[in-house]
Amino acid sequence: MGTFIQLVVDGLAMGSIYAALALAIVIVNQSTGMINFAQGGMAVLSAYLAYAFLGMGMPLILAILIAVAISFALGAAIERLLMRRFEGGDPDTAVVVTVGLLTLITGICGWIWSYNNLQFPSLFPGDSFTLLGAAISWRSLGTFVVIAAIMVLLQVLFQKTKVGLALRAVADNPRSSSFSGLPVGRLLMVGWGLAAALGAVAGALVAPRLSLTPGMLDGALVYALAAVILGGATSPIGVVVAAWLIGVLENLAAVYVPFIGHDLKIAVPFILLFIVLLVRPQGLFGRKTVVRV
Amino acid sequence: MKRPALWNTRWVRIGLAVLVALVLVLAPWNLDPATNQALARIGVFAVAVLGLNVIMGYTGQVSLGQIFFLGLGAYVTAYGVNEGWNVALVFVLAVLIPGVAGYVVALAAARLGGLAIAMVTIALPIIGVPLAKRLADWTGGSQGTSARFTSAPDWFGSDLDDIWQYYIVLAIAAVVFVLVTNLVRGKFGRALAIVKENEAVASSMGISPYRYKVMAFTIAAMIGGVSGFLYMVVVQYTSPETLAFHHSISLLASMVIGGAGSIIGSLIGGAYYVLVPNVTNEIDATLTSLIQGAILLIVLFVLPGGIASLPRVVRRLARKRGTQSPTQQ
Repeated sequence: MGTFIQLVVDGLAMGSIYAALALAIVIVNQSTGMINFAQGGMAVLSAYLAYAFLGMGMPLILAILIAVAISFALGAAIERLLMRRFEGGDPDTAVVVTVGLLTLITGICGWIWSYNNLQFPSLFPGDSFTLLGAAISWRSLGTFVVIAAIMVLLQVLFQKTKVGLALRAVADNPRSSSFSGLPVGRLLMVGWGLAAALGAVAGALVAPRLSLTPGMLDGALVYALAAVILGGATSPIGVVVAAWLIGVLENLAAVYVPFIGHDLKIAVPFILLFIVLLVRPQGLFGRKTVVRV
Repeated sequence: MKRPALWNTRWVRIGLAVLVALVLVLAPWNLDPATNQALARIGVFAVAVLGLNVIMGYTGQVSLGQIFFLGLGAYVTAYGVNEGWNVALVFVLAVLIPGVAGYVVALAAARLGGLAIAMVTIALPIIGVPLAKRLADWTGGSQGTSARFTSAPDWFGSDLDDIWQYYIVLAIAAVVFVLVTNLVRGKFGRALAIVKENEAVASSMGISPYRYKVMAFTIAAMIGGVSGFLYMVVVQYTSPETLAFHHSISLLASMVIGGAGSIIGSLIGGAYYVLVPNVTNEIDATLTSLIQGAILLIVLFVLPGGIASLPRVVRRLARKRGTQSPTQQ
């Protein structure tokens, strides 16, 4: 039983990392209707920035906060200077642009900081405490709490605030939104900035666990995308719950299903996805959209 | 009635095609083996890019998983050859097995529509690599597996392996290109174009977007299998690295840079895939990813139709200048 609880807790912590990236993808998707494949790369860049500030002698928390702030600006700048040209056009082209961005950012990180593993200190203490026979690390708990808090904040932002309403309106119909006086361009920049800042949090939380490399979040991005589809892409709570579900299930499968093991556990979200899709194409929490000619 | 331009008349076109074919057939005899190898590799990846074009360029569904089908085709070929099966049978299996895999994936992916297909296909190479390592009995695990079945026969000249392999690639690639050209210009291609343009309109015309997307995906997977077979013809070795995710991104970039939805673009894409990494590696290996990402973004910015659209763009610019200059004077 101890092992089981242990696996669930670790799964929730890892799932929280996927959830942070998935939320970032959902924010961009909610405000622009596109999927940003560069989200993981941008988060890695933020982690490298925090690493650089640490190298200058800043305390960890300050380094992370500054990296988050810069990421917000960077995300807004990428939207303004790069993505705006492709918004509203062919969504497939926009996706290819984000794939190109991912390659470019990975290349920049590798060029500046090399492709070697770098050690990134953790925000939370490395030791653990025992609960119901399971050793729970402060790191796992801390990650979980931070992500849960962000999820609630985002849900409130999207559902209860004017900015959230405006962001959703822009995603739904940019033309009508601009006719009703919404500053569409600025809102899109805010959307991208928010997503990049959130990705930066994910980057800082995951870097101590995986050690910092340019491709650090490629795997996590795949899980995040699976969570976005499973969760239904329209509901922040949905994707977070899906990400937690994926984190827990893959951990359990790696130990209890002999064929899967640790190397093939990345197949778990997609097996899950496959089953869900055949039953509920709109995702677990998504709304069914009706298309009219 | 306007007289067709010189290059549009039927006989000029046929003559040009014969000329190109002659050059392609005769070229290897005047080149060194390394160049012939490179040409054969371009053929391999031109077919892979062509497959990606069927699903992405013509159907408008982003696929980040095309390299998986190349890898699967390569593994099937290696296994069949090492088991001593007839090469024709191996070829058929190297096309059919990826086709079945593509069909099964498409059944789920095409339900999602839009960008979600890209999100699902990303899983193919990412799951494929550990799977290939795990199934070591068939794949040789991390070590990979090699299969030599394309040494030149004695009557051809036993020291001419490079030319022999080049000819195999040329012949199969030419057949695939002709088949796909006919496919996308025919009724099937028109249906794909409508599905790409507007799925709702397509359904109202009685064209099921779901069915056509599944078909296009399956065909793309089969062409990927062909390119996997050709990969074994030329490279004669495959390992989990063959189907790594970053190759899939390169393939996507090659297709976009060559020209999406374009037959010539697939050829240019194949050349880009093979040649440009050599150049960027020579400049600085740590810069490769940065340069390739930058090239992709620049092409998307200045030439959204890819390099294949360059003549069209140049012609349009020339025409614009031609009509503008009298008014400016």
